[in-house]
Amino acid sequence: MTIDRELPTGRLVEVWGDTADTTHLAWSIVLGVGISVPAFLLANRGLVAWVSSPELAKAYAMLAGLAGCVLAGLICALLFKPKRTVVEGHQADLGWRLEVLTQLAEQHGGLGSVADLPPAVISEMNALEIYDLFNDFETAPLAGRLSNATPGADSPAPDRRAVAASVQGA
Amino acid sequence: MDPALLNQIFYAGMMGLIGAIVFAAIGLVSGTDETTTLAPLTLLVVLLGVPPEGVFTFFLAGAVAKHMTHAVPTALLGIPGDTMATPLLQDCNVLRNLGVPHIALRKMVSGSLIAAFVAVPLAVLFAVMLAPLGPVITKAAPWIFLAAAVLIAYFSAGRWASVGVLVPFVVLIIALQTLTAKYNVKLSISYFLGIAIGPLVADLFSLISPADRQRMRRDKARTFQLAPDVKGWSGYFPNPFKVLDRRQTAWTLATATISSATFVFSPVAMTVVLGELVGSRVKHAYHRLTTVLSARNGVTEATYIAEALIPLIAFGLPLSPVAAGPAAPLFNAPPRFTVDVAAGTSHNLHNLLSHGEFLGYGLLAVVLAALVSYPFAMNYARSAALFVSRKVSHEAIIATFIGLIFVISIWEGQFLGLLVITTMGLIGGLLSRTLGFNSGVQFMGYYTAVLSVPAIIKWLG
Repeated sequence: MTIDRELPTGRLVEVWGDTADTTHLAWSIVLGVGISVPAFLLANRGLVAWVSSPELAKAYAMLAGLAGCVLAGLICALLFKPKRTVVEGHQADLGWRLEVLTQLAEQHGGLGSVADLPPAVISEMNALEIYDLFNDFETAPLAGRLSNATPGADSPAPDRRAVAASVQGA
Repeated sequence: MDPALLNQIFYAGMMGLIGAIVFAAIGLVSGTDETTTLAPLTLLVVLLGVPPEGVFTFFLAGAVAKHMTHAVPTALLGIPGDTMATPLLQDCNVLRNLGVPHIALRKMVSGSLIAAFVAVPLAVLFAVMLAPLGPVITKAAPWIFLAAAVLIAYFSAGRWASVGVLVPFVVLIIALQTLTAKYNVKLSISYFLGIAIGPLVADLFSLISPADRQRMRRDKARTFQLAPDVKGWSGYFPNPFKVLDRRQTAWTLATATISSATFVFSPVAMTVVLGELVGSRVKHAYHRLTTVLSARNGVTEATYIAEALIPLIAFGLPLSPVAAGPAAPLFNAPPRFTVDVAAGTSHNLHNLLSHGEFLGYGLLAVVLAALVSYPFAMNYARSAALFVSRKVSHEAIIATFIGLIFVISIWEGQFLGLLVITTMGLIGGLLSRTLGFNSGVQFMGYYTAVLSVPAIIKWLG
């Protein structure tokens, strides 16, 4: 492990769908193999004398090996903190919501009309406080609403494209 | 009631309960593919000598429970819970940006619950209808596997490239089998576990390579936003028919029925196609999003159940991507369960349980999964998502899975097992990443090598 000269942020990589630190990852692999494989091999040796059939002994050894995997995972979870930033209590602001509506309106099928909705859905949307959002979006012109919703935004249009693209690409 | 039967039901119930609890927890951890978790644990249960009904209930309760809780990271954090959850991600993100991710979650979990209860009896019914064809199918199995492999390859992202890649991929498997046979080692789970874990193996090799490492570098940690929760009911067990409106229930039932009947296709493909069908029939965007999500998660549940159950009950041969992958130990777990296509015989759950038992224990599994997973996902989703994202690092998940592939491969074939799992993982992972030759096609490729190739060689004389 001679990566100390690097800044910790320089060690972040995306592996298998999430971010990890390369040094931590290397140690995790060492621990994962180093705990589970000996657990399996030792159990395999030790159990033959105790269990009636060799097949069953091997199955119990596998159980010991899998327990070793979980133990390695627990140790790594204690040693290495997640490389994720979780922001709590995010209440979607109006600007963000309108971007979504714009994107929905551009999609195949369009936004549709609240007049088509069954009563059950209308009351559900009312409870979520998004009925008026959809209703207003249908009637009011888009450009004025967007600049009202995001005051100070210099160019809402390219911004909107960017959000739409990020949602689409996810 | 007969005390022996009561004893059996009790035992199966206990195994189902264990399966439901273990896999409800695993479902919360994103990236835990079904094959890498369900297959090894089911294999373990088989080899420990658990009676057939216990094995079956364990597997099914685990699969159903996992497909409910996989909605938690998908809806609340925007990370797919597993492979089956990826088609749901886009609509989930839209609802998350609207500020109502908990609605996405509840619609998905309720859709899944309703679909599971429909899928078990339907799958048994379809299997009973197909069962008379059993002898014909068993006889023609090598060719059916070949046709299914080509069909599933064509419907993967790689299209004709995947169909073409099947040939060298099958050759690779035959080559590896010939190699291990020289040392009297016969492997099966190492192949499909290698295929399932392939993307991780390929990523780790990329990481060591200076040429490919730059692509994977990130300058900061990923940010996830977790919205506040709003509980819309009192009590512990919300009524799924109240969470979904009538049209959503109807669509969920309809798509679950269709996907229960079509068992040879990739479950991910079925989820996408049926979701599009539902989406085109709902006019309003919000209603469309929530309806598509309930139907899609219902389809993930129903296809999974049907793809595992129909081939198992009707033929005893792993004739679908799910049966060939995550459910493989129900068909083939030597020395206890075996499949011999050349002789047209099998000795596995197909022979050990009756149709009535499949139905009864299947429903028992769904009830247990519903009791464990459904209220948990509905009530504690937010705190569970927060706990997993804050406490369980990706490194810890990778450590567990690296340990898993070492233990399973060494268990099956010592050093040769490790060689095979690494080779399959690396080649399969790279082919999946670059050509869209996904793991579903690769599972079928494995069975083509094992079952179809001997028949082709014989036919060619």
